[in-house]
Parts: sequence; C-alpha cells; structure tokens
Amino acid sequence: MILRHIIAITWKDLKILVRDRGALAVLFAMPVGFVLVMTTALGGLFGGGESAISVLVVSEDKGYLSTQIVEGLKVAEGFKVETEWEGQPLTRAKAEELIISQKRQLAVILPADFSQYILGDALPSQSSELQTTTIQLMVDPALSPEFTGPIVGTLQGLLLQALMPVGIERLLDQIAPGMPQEQRLIFIEQARQGMLIGMSIEQITPPGMSLRQLPNTTQQNVPSYTLFGVFFICQVIALSLIREKQDGTFRRLLAAPLSKSALLIGKLLPYYLVNLIQIVLIFAAGIWIVPLLGNPALNLGAHPEGLIVVSLAAAAAASGLGLLVATLVKTAEATGGLSALIAVMMAAVGGCFVPAFVMPNFMQTLSKLVPHAWALQGYQDILVRGYGLSQVMPEVGVLLIFAIAFFGLALWRFRFD
Amino acid sequence: MIQAKKMTENIVEVSNLVKSYNGIPAVKGINFTIHRGEIFGLLGPNGAGKTTTISILTCLLLPTSGTAIIAGHDVVSKAKTVKGIIGLVPQDLAIYPQLSARDNLLFFGRIYGLKGRKLQQRADDLLEMVGLFERANDPVNTFSGGMKRRVNIAAGLLHQPQVLFLDEPTVGVDPQSRNFIFDNIEQLNEQGMTILYTTHYMEEAERLCHHVAIIDQGEIIALDTPKALIDRVGGGIIRLGLSETTTEMFIAQVKTLPAVKDVSCQDSILSVQAHHTQEALIQIIQLFNTAKVTITTLEVLEPNLESVFLHLTGRRLRD
Repeated sequence: MILRHIIAITWKDLKILVRDRGALAVLFAMPVGFVLVMTTALGGLFGGGESAISVLVVSEDKGYLSTQIVEGLKVAEGFKVETEWEGQPLTRAKAEELIISQKRQLAVILPADFSQYILGDALPSQSSELQTTTIQLMVDPALSPEFTGPIVGTLQGLLLQALMPVGIERLLDQIAPGMPQEQRLIFIEQARQGMLIGMSIEQITPPGMSLRQLPNTTQQNVPSYTLFGVFFICQVIALSLIREKQDGTFRRLLAAPLSKSALLIGKLLPYYLVNLIQIVLIFAAGIWIVPLLGNPALNLGAHPEGLIVVSLAAAAAASGLGLLVATLVKTAEATGGLSALIAVMMAAVGGCFVPAFVMPNFMQTLSKLVPHAWALQGYQDILVRGYGLSQVMPEVGVLLIFAIAFFGLALWRFRFD
Repeated sequence: MIQAKKMTENIVEVSNLVKSYNGIPAVKGINFTIHRGEIFGLLGPNGAGKTTTISILTCLLLPTSGTAIIAGHDVVSKAKTVKGIIGLVPQDLAIYPQLSARDNLLFFGRIYGLKGRKLQQRADDLLEMVGLFERANDPVNTFSGGMKRRVNIAAGLLHQPQVLFLDEPTVGVDPQSRNFIFDNIEQLNEQGMTILYTTHYMEEAERLCHHVAIIDQGEIIALDTPKALIDRVGGGIIRLGLSETTTEMFIAQVKTLPAVKDVSCQDSILSVQAHHTQEALIQIIQLFNTAKVTITTLEVLEPNLESVFLHLTGRRLRD
C-alpha cells in the first residue's frame, strides 16, 4: 500500500511539473542554455574550441626570421593568428583601426628592421654600443592580462629560438674561428631546434591519472552547468512543498490513511527522477549540440559508469537541499527568492561559474563546503582525469554525507502544516 | 429544512474535548454526539474553534485532553482506522489547480486505495454528481470558484466515507453553485452519509442541519435542532439602545409587557425576546414615550439562528 501511495504521489507531481512551464524552463532550458552560451563564450579561455582569441600579426619586416616568428605564433595553442584582413596583408594602420572599432583586441607588430637587427646588429660584436629594436604588442586597454600573458610568453620563446642560432654563430666566430664548416652547421641547426643542451619540455601525468584530453570549454561547462541546474531543483521542490501546505492539500492527504514517510518520499522521488533526466539531457546537449556551435563535443571518458554514480549522489544531495529550503520559508514568494539565492551562491562557491583552481586559497577551501564542488570534482575525475568508478567513491561518499545531512536537518525542522 | 429522521445510533461521540496552543485554549471541553445519518452543524464565527474541533476529529491534531470516538474508534489510538472511514473537505481548496478535475479525483482515489475500473467509475459518478462531467478533463485552474468548490467536495467522497467533514464548504461561492452544493449534501445524506458541517452562515445551518451546535470562543453555548434553537428567541428579537442610566431601570417594566417573553441587557443594549415583535414594539414605544425616554437605536431581528447567536453572545456571527 505504501508503494502504491508513493507511486500515486510521484505520478501526480510529475504531471504537475510537466504543466509548469516556469519550472521546466528553470530545470531544463536554463542549464542547457548556459551550457551552449558559456561553452561558446569561454572557448578562448579554456582552449580547444574554434573560438580562441584572435591575434592580429603585422609583419613590417620581410626577412625569414619574422616569417619564422609568425609561423611559430600560428602553431601555438590558445590563440588564432590573423595576418590578413579581407584578403589584404595587415598593416599597422589597419590593426589600429580594428582594435579601435573593437573588432579585435590585440595585435603583434614586428618592426621593419627586425631581421636586419637580429642578423646584423643585434648582438654585440666589434661595437660596444648595444642597438635595440622593439616588437610592439598593441592591445585594447580593456583586455585582461590573462589573455596577453600567454602571447607575450610565446613571443619570448620564439624570439629566443630565433636569436639562439645567430648568437651561436657569432660566438663560434669568436671562440672557434677554425672549426670546420660542417661541424658549425650542426651546432647552429641544433641551436635552431632548441636541442643544444638536450632539454625539452614534456607533459606527463602522475601514475593512475591518464590525461585523456586537455580540459576544454565543453568539459568545464557541461558538468558545471549541469550541476547548477541539478541543484536548482531545490527551488522547484521547495515551491511544491510550500504550495501543498498553503493550498491545504497536505492537510487533506494527512486526513487520509497515508503515512507521512510515504508522502515525503512520494513528493521527493519525482524531482530526483527529474534530476537524472536533466543530467542525461544536458550531457546529451554537450555531446550532440555543442559541436554544432563549433566547440568540441563532450567526451564521457573511459568510465562513464562513474558519471552515473556521481549523478545519483549529486541528485540525492539536491533533493535533500530542496527539502531543507522548504523548512526555511513560509511563503511561495520567499521560497523563490531564497532558493534561487542558495542555488546560485552554492554554484558560484562550488566552482560552477569559475573553476575552483583559479580561486584564492580561502575560496578553494570554502568550496569544499558545498556539494557542487565535490560533484564537479567527481565529474571531472571521470571526464578529464580518466579515473574509474572506484576512484570517485570519495566524492560520492561526501555527496551522500551532504544528502544525509540535508535530509536530517530538513526532517528535524519540517512541518506539514 | 430537512425533517429530523429516526437516527438513534451515535457515530460521533465527543467528550470533554480540550485543545490548547501554548497554554491558550482554543477548544474548552466541548461535548456533543452525532447520530448516524444526520447532518450536524457546527455554527460559529471565525476563530470560534470549529476548524480545531474538525482537525481533532479527522486525526490531524491531537487533543490536549478529552476523547473523540468515531464509529467506535478513538481518533487518537485508532487514527489509521478512523482515517479510512472519514472524509474531509477542508475549508481551503485543497486540490491541484494544474491538474484536471478527473486527475484530481483519480489521485485522491488512489490515496484511498481505489484502483482500476472501480476508481474510474467512481470518479465519473462524482463528476456527474457535482455537475462537472463535461469539464472533467479541463485543468481546475480554468474553473470558477464555485466549480472548484465542487471538485473540492468530490475529492472527499471517493472512498464513500461513513462520516464526511465539510469545513465551510461554501466560502466564496456564487449562489448557483451554493445551491448545487446544498443539493449534493442533501443527496449524500439521503444515501445515509453522516455529515458534520461547519459554517458561519446561519441560513446554511438552518437549511441543512438536523442538529446545530453553536460554538463561540471554544465552547458550545447551545445545541439543539435549528427549530428548537430558533424557538428560544420566540417571535423575534428587539434590540433597543438606551442611555446608560435608564437601561437598568426599565428591564423590569419591559418584562411585564404582555407581548414580551424575556429581556436581557448588555452594554446599554436592551435585548427583548418577543412573542410577537410588532405588538411588543408598540408596547415598548408607548412605555418609553410615557416615561420620556429617548431610544437611540432600534433593531428588529427575525427569529433565526443569527438572532439566536446574537441573543446568546451579544455579537453577530460575522463580526
């Protein structure tokens, strides 16, 4: 009989939810919309998409070294190099115009004497007076240093790479003028390829972590906004419970031979199921719709079963939070505002809007106090770090502790009238 | 008014029922019984204790003390059994406005254990009874206030309860729907259902109830058939406002007038129960004219439950 009661209440609430366009918008349209918009908008920040920040490159120099720098910039990750505009080679004036009109934010200008300086006068030889030349970085003042920093770093690396062989050649002229030409060329070529001292940079991962794919905008935004949407269910749950109280339907139901536990389970179960449907739909949008906007598709990793377990635990914590919010307010009006505030603040602290690793230390510590952070970590363990089910059990455990704590507090405070 | 039926078996027995909230009594030791098959009215103003009493009888509230027995079962110790044999139509529109009338009834039917064809048939019968069969699949939030009230009533009837509690079922209802609801209640009672009906509309209690308990400030101040209660005020009530100094002096003189049944005085208002209001009024005015006493206010009340309440409490039902 209890099971039939639970099914009846669950079915009733699902029917009501299907007719509630506002709730459907909050639960489905909002997170999917956020995923699509933010994945596209932040493509440049996380890389991996087609929308990396554009860098105008104006080469006033015609020498091979400037060409080498431009080609080096083109293959560097994180930004897109443009050397032409509407089919014409870029000029300084055109770059200025494009930045002023805010069509572009950043231009690298290689001066006309760039190659000549390096090949002829850059390094001290007979003359004691050091000549200089300048590569200019023309930027929109509103552009954040986070964007200019990588470009400056890349330029410095490329310059070093360009200068090194010339410097070696000059040095050999000074210290080993009798070295055979063949051996000189080997030294210079090794210097050009950065192999002179046999050092290179290799990206590796600790044992047990297989970096399947560098985290890109899709892998950051899909799980983040999925969790944002999942925990927004607290608003819908709380509103549903408050309306039952206000309309007197709880009173009517409690006058029937129906246990309070069956009533509460029946009230929460539909929203738990809705959470799971939400997660499936938003992840599906990440896999199939996000690529249509020019962003990488969501890759579920090698152990998608881990995503299921993290999702089940996160949805349980969200349901508990919904019940808890319902105990904190008395009117539907107050419920809407408070639950939205809680959902948004927790998402922000939990790293759904801004990744926790860019937050100050105290914020990173604070983020551990909200379930979003643990769920997000669990998702990214699977999606990005290549972890399996057993390795996300700590996150799942913490999420279940959150769920138990939320339910415990809520049941202690909950009143049916 | 429905003629009293031969109803002897008590289906509801309330003894010394008390309910206090934080030490403040809302119900102060009330006693009454309801016979099987009757419509019993609980008449009183807002805040009199009607809903508290119903809440205890429907197992929603625990009494502070006293007992309430329904069909032989204690509402506290046998709450689950009691809940299965009673139906509650709350004062609020306790239905789901987003759902259709049929979906509402099917849901509440399932809660009472009905299922399958029997549930569908029962829902259809009730929709027919409350005149909403044609609108059965429309969302309730598209209904008028009266139609919503009718769905509210139907939702309490799915399991064919032995005792139906109707808590102010006509609040905010247009006259047409009100009459429809009255017809439904009378029909249910004809079928043998016992009904406890709370209202602060005296005309409803007069029309529907076999017995009426008048409740005020948590106490039952009168309990009888509507006719017997109305007989208490004779041919009607005349209320006269006089100056403070003259009121007490004239009570004894007015009592001696032949058309006057009884006199009481409260707050400078002389309340006169008359055998015949018109004759009594003439006699009273002659008396005061002779004595050169000024009447500041004058009110003549028809003999009905409203005037009974006014006579008993000095206040109106809808104050």
